[in-house]
Amino acid sequence: MGLIKKVPVYTESIPGGALVATSLEAVLNFGRAKSLWYLLFGTACCAIELMCTGASRYDFDRLGMMFRASPRQADLIIAAGTITKKMGPRLRKLYDQMAEPRYVIAMGGCTIKGGPFYYDSYSVEKGIDHIVPVDIYVPGCPPRPESLLEGCLHLQEKVRRQKLSEWQEK
Amino acid sequence: MTQQELTAYIQSSFEGKLTLLDTGRAEPMFEVRPDDLLEVARRLRDDLQLKFDYLCNMGASDTRERLEVVYSIASTTRRLRMDFKLVLGYENPAVESVTPVWPAANWYEREMNELFGIEVKDHPDMRPLLLPEDWDQGYPMLKNWDAPDFVRMPEL
Repeated sequence: MGLIKKVPVYTESIPGGALVATSLEAVLNFGRAKSLWYLLFGTACCAIELMCTGASRYDFDRLGMMFRASPRQADLIIAAGTITKKMGPRLRKLYDQMAEPRYVIAMGGCTIKGGPFYYDSYSVEKGIDHIVPVDIYVPGCPPRPESLLEGCLHLQEKVRRQKLSEWQEK
Repeated sequence: MTQQELTAYIQSSFEGKLTLLDTGRAEPMFEVRPDDLLEVARRLRDDLQLKFDYLCNMGASDTRERLEVVYSIASTTRRLRMDFKLVLGYENPAVESVTPVWPAANWYEREMNELFGIEVKDHPDMRPLLLPEDWDQGYPMLKNWDAPDFVRMPEL
């Protein structure tokens, strides 16, 4: 694997146990990376793959990812499906309601660049990255659950690399 | 009543207000003048031989030469189906609302008004239906419609 790195710890044996020293940043990032609760935000066919990823065969829960029905409890939006121009402001509103630090995964071609609706469409937003800042792009139409899991692992890696000082700015 | 009998019946009893179009399809397609629309719709629904009580579908289309509004109706008790359409020009297109005759037309007419700019007279509830609330870019289903971020499919 090599994708998920271990938390840097210093251990020293003492009589009756061990002493562990690590950085606060590493521990907080470890906790955040392992409990990315995502907002239920399926707007089109990608949501079916998202459901499949959440179900028992691929099992999102083993990454600590639980779905939340409220943006106030979520750390992550997986934008799964076509975002229309009418839906765009709603997506922004949900994003604004989330507590920081917050993350966005753009799942599928539609959220990346309009996908199959790029041409000849009056109603589809050409990429959600001019509505909300996107952390991870997962291409596919729709992406298979393996792709989404890969994207989530990359997001975990990104969360682990965060500096305490950057949290305020994000 | 067979399709031939239906066609003959309509041609004989609507005083030429419905003219048969040659579409090559099994179900007859008629054309109606915009002024006669409401009266014809009411008679199609209330005629005891026909009783067209069900509006299956309706919509508009832009043929680049004219606008057409198509109504597909059926009779659940007489087991009949037929279509009729009316032709409009691009200058201030307007039709009478058939919502009083077939309530199913309500949302179709709102959609048609929004996407084609066809004015629907005497509609009971003409609010926007599909487009964003702050939409100001015209009528996107017209063939000559354009917008700053609208990308046409390139010729292959």
